[in-house]
Amino acid sequence: MRPIAANIRSLTLAIAVLFLLTSLGVGYWSFIAAAELNADPYNPRLIAAVRDRPRGRIVDKDGRELAASARVGDAYQRKYADRSLAQVVGYASFKYGAAGIEGAYQGSLIGQDPADPLGQWRARYLGERGVPGAVALGIDQKIQAAALGALAGRRGAVVALDPRSGQILASVSLPSYEANLLVDPKQQDIAWGQVNGNAERPLINRVAQGLYPPGSTMKIITGAAALENGVDPATKIRVDDPYQADKSWGDYAVRSAAKAHGDFDMALAFQRSENIYFAKLGLQLGGAKLAEYARKFGLAKAPDLDLPAAKGQLSNGGTLERPVLIADTSFGQGELLVSPLQMALATAIIANRGVRVVPHYAAEIRDAAGHPLRTITGSTGDQVIRPETARILTGLLTGAVDAPGAFAFGAKVPGVAVAGKTGTAEVPSGTPHGWFVGFAPAEAPTVVVAVIIENAGNGGVDAALVGGAVLKAALGR
Amino acid sequence: MTRFHPVGRVVELRLLVWAGLLTLAGFIAVVAADAGTFAPAALIVPVTVLAVFAVLHLFLVGTGFRGDQLILPLAVGLTGIGFVLVQRLAPNLLVQQLTWVVIAAGAFGATILVPRDLSVLGRYKYTWALIGLILLVLPLVPGIGREINGARIWIRVGIGQFEPWEAVKIVLVIFFAGYLAEHREVLGATSRRFGPVSIPPLPFLVPILLMWLVAMLVMVFEKDLGATLLFFGIFLAMLYVATGKVSYPVAGLLMLVIGGFVAYHAFNHVAARIDVWLAPISSDLRFDTGYQLSQGLFALANAGLLGAGLGAGMPEQIPVVWSDFVFDAFTEEVGFAGALALLSLYLVLVYRGMLIALRAPTVFLQLLAAGLSFIVAFQTLVIIGGNAKLIPLTGITLPFVAYGGSSLVTNFMLIALLLRVSDVTARVRNAPH
Amino acid sequence: MEITFAVVLWAVRLAFLALLYLFLIRAFRSLQRALATEKVAAEVAQTGLAYLVVQRSHAGGPKAGSRLPLRAVTTIGRDAGNDIVLNDEAASAKHAVLTFRDGEWWAEDAGSTNGTLLNASRIWEAERLRFGDEIDIGRIGLRLEQAAPA
Repeated sequence: MRPIAANIRSLTLAIAVLFLLTSLGVGYWSFIAAAELNADPYNPRLIAAVRDRPRGRIVDKDGRELAASARVGDAYQRKYADRSLAQVVGYASFKYGAAGIEGAYQGSLIGQDPADPLGQWRARYLGERGVPGAVALGIDQKIQAAALGALAGRRGAVVALDPRSGQILASVSLPSYEANLLVDPKQQDIAWGQVNGNAERPLINRVAQGLYPPGSTMKIITGAAALENGVDPATKIRVDDPYQADKSWGDYAVRSAAKAHGDFDMALAFQRSENIYFAKLGLQLGGAKLAEYARKFGLAKAPDLDLPAAKGQLSNGGTLERPVLIADTSFGQGELLVSPLQMALATAIIANRGVRVVPHYAAEIRDAAGHPLRTITGSTGDQVIRPETARILTGLLTGAVDAPGAFAFGAKVPGVAVAGKTGTAEVPSGTPHGWFVGFAPAEAPTVVVAVIIENAGNGGVDAALVGGAVLKAALGR
Repeated sequence: MTRFHPVGRVVELRLLVWAGLLTLAGFIAVVAADAGTFAPAALIVPVTVLAVFAVLHLFLVGTGFRGDQLILPLAVGLTGIGFVLVQRLAPNLLVQQLTWVVIAAGAFGATILVPRDLSVLGRYKYTWALIGLILLVLPLVPGIGREINGARIWIRVGIGQFEPWEAVKIVLVIFFAGYLAEHREVLGATSRRFGPVSIPPLPFLVPILLMWLVAMLVMVFEKDLGATLLFFGIFLAMLYVATGKVSYPVAGLLMLVIGGFVAYHAFNHVAARIDVWLAPISSDLRFDTGYQLSQGLFALANAGLLGAGLGAGMPEQIPVVWSDFVFDAFTEEVGFAGALALLSLYLVLVYRGMLIALRAPTVFLQLLAAGLSFIVAFQTLVIIGGNAKLIPLTGITLPFVAYGGSSLVTNFMLIALLLRVSDVTARVRNAPH
Repeated sequence: MEITFAVVLWAVRLAFLALLYLFLIRAFRSLQRALATEKVAAEVAQTGLAYLVVQRSHAGGPKAGSRLPLRAVTTIGRDAGNDIVLNDEAASAKHAVLTFRDGEWWAEDAGSTNGTLLNASRIWEAERLRFGDEIDIGRIGLRLEQAAPA
């Protein structure tokens, strides 16, 4: 039998090794994971560290105050002005951390702009007070108000952006929540319990984080893929409801909303939103091409936004292989999931003559005196489709709004050519969601809008009305 | 101990001075950072604490105690750091903790004097087992037991609550040391083989399996993962030291994993702990059950090399930081450098304890000292591991540093026993002849 | 003024950290010294390695001819806490202690009732042993033998 002394030595050695491993573990959090955790918006340290002084203001395009600090007792508390921007502006709570712009631009708002490492060091070790700057958003109050009014309390989201710069002009996500309660130490716990546990998920910014099947708005991308691959828009395709490619589909068939029988060209197919036309087009292109163009248009990839944005998916498996799935995806059903912002950005590519833009909420960081420190510019990206393809699609989409019998008639703006597309997204439970994406003026677009109304009951018709109201406000009509 | 000749304990005295300076520096930093100025009156409490320990030192000198000179200063240094953190995190508990230090010092002195002969402890091992069981069951008795934060592990005593399991850990070590010293030959032998697995004679395993069962029952009825884990750890470590068979701890760990797996599916409070451990900052948990741990990790992340500076971090964001998360609080403000030093202090303490075990003159005393040192190592590793998300969090306290009376008192009794073992060794080795 | 205070405060904080490390280093040095002497002790124990070989025994006692390894300090008695446990009615709970000191083995009676016999004569104080010496405790006879060098 081993002498006890030897056993004690082995045990001691094992303990020493465990101590070493433990110190490595502690080192991991203090060094390797530190940067990420320190920047985590749910880390209340940065917010609470400066509770004894005001944070910087958040203002909209016209200088209207969206968030400001006011002294309450011995601490400064935030006051938020616009509930319709709750998910965008966010909150800065001593307990629940920061969200939205409050979190994303935290450094600038507490006088520790990331561009100033020396200032950050002095704040940490000498407790010196940096002078907070202000963050100016590109939100335009009259477009925002129009979007909120048109959505009229229905669950859903509206986003308007400038297709030339990626600047977001309006962003509504309903239901919203009262951020003022979340930053009030007396009410924060109850308020947090209510919004965080709410099944309708008011904390989610539905514009960038809500995921829905795109419905017929997807036909823009299918159409673009076909045009880029040599399909002539004038070529007629036979539509006979119901449609099965072959017997292997079994009970399943693609249905035409109008139970149509006849020959369709692309213009008519866009006006009537003919599913069978686009299903056949998609099958003709093949799953690989369709997936390639969906990705080019920014689907299944999180937009490079300055706030959290969801990625969505092309299909559960990430690829398009089964014919039924290809056919369904071509008209926006299948297993596709997209955010309203992604659809707005895809539409902006058409509006911007085939060039991608990077979206952003913030427009400018200002110093304490109000002078601009830096401008947030969405760098324009690559050419996604040929300008010619974009021009043809703009024409087709204009027809989808103003041709006789077009579904998207609600989006018409007197005296301006509007391009757009409605959509009806079938969902597993409840009535379908209604979609609209569009832009105006068609010849030189200055605004793109995307609208979703959850369980709208009336297809895209209502969504097109909301889109029209937003476009009118944006164009000053 | 008929010969009460005073002996010089120079090494101990020198180290105690360092521990004292350390405590005072920490206090000054914390108080100054909080008040923005420094008033010497704030040092009354730490000076009192240090005076209590100075008395303990003089007591050892006066009784001609010949035990180890390193253990007490290490414990004092850690306790001093603990006081700095109580002042930092929960100043309203400072006076209460001072009361506990006085009681702990009394318990230390009593353990140094009684019993006169340490081997008496081993002789009445079954009495100890019985005492341990009674202490364990006490919190379940209505009227005496109290449930705090979902765990029914407290009993009411004069000045507050006491956690009996803290005392049980020492009783258990005494019982195991006595039992294993007697039966180690049998347990180390192999009577039957099933393939590669050798089975020692079954009857001798019965008391040990009973203890395992009791530990599991504690988990069920008192919902205390920390104590269960500690008892089981002590049991496996001592079984290994006594027999030298690696198969015991391996089999024990397997049983623990199986037990843990069953508990995960059977008991909500176990499942909740594990879920929090796996993803504390996940969106479901970060403001709920994961709040404490995620705030702890934020504190660690704020540490860097030198920390935010004593008094300048925000460890108060962590709920119940003064008892469960002192390590994260300490690290946030003193940095990774401080955390490394703290861990090293514990390691030196444990090494020293194990050295006492190596030198001890009898098997019983060897097992006793090894078991006691193991407690310090295990508690430190389990709570720091829990604080740093390396293992699931349990309610074990960081020895000497964490706020808490029962913990402080029993840990000072623990080191008193270690010192007693080293005293016996010193007397046997240099006995006049 | 405020900056001066901040600097002094940081000086105290760093002093705390420095003291922490100084304390640790002092403690570590002390531990190191102990480890060094322990190594020497272990080496000494190595060279002094010895056995008690059971010469005479009975049904309840250790088997005759079995070798009981000795440690630097080995306690012998009926009680379970001893290094060598002798199951014999005539043995006391704590009967005798064998120690290895300064390169020699020593035997000492631990205040037993019936006494310890070294080469048939009862010992009253610590007695130096030579290899081959016989020790009787109760009805059990033991002989000190040197272990073969490893």
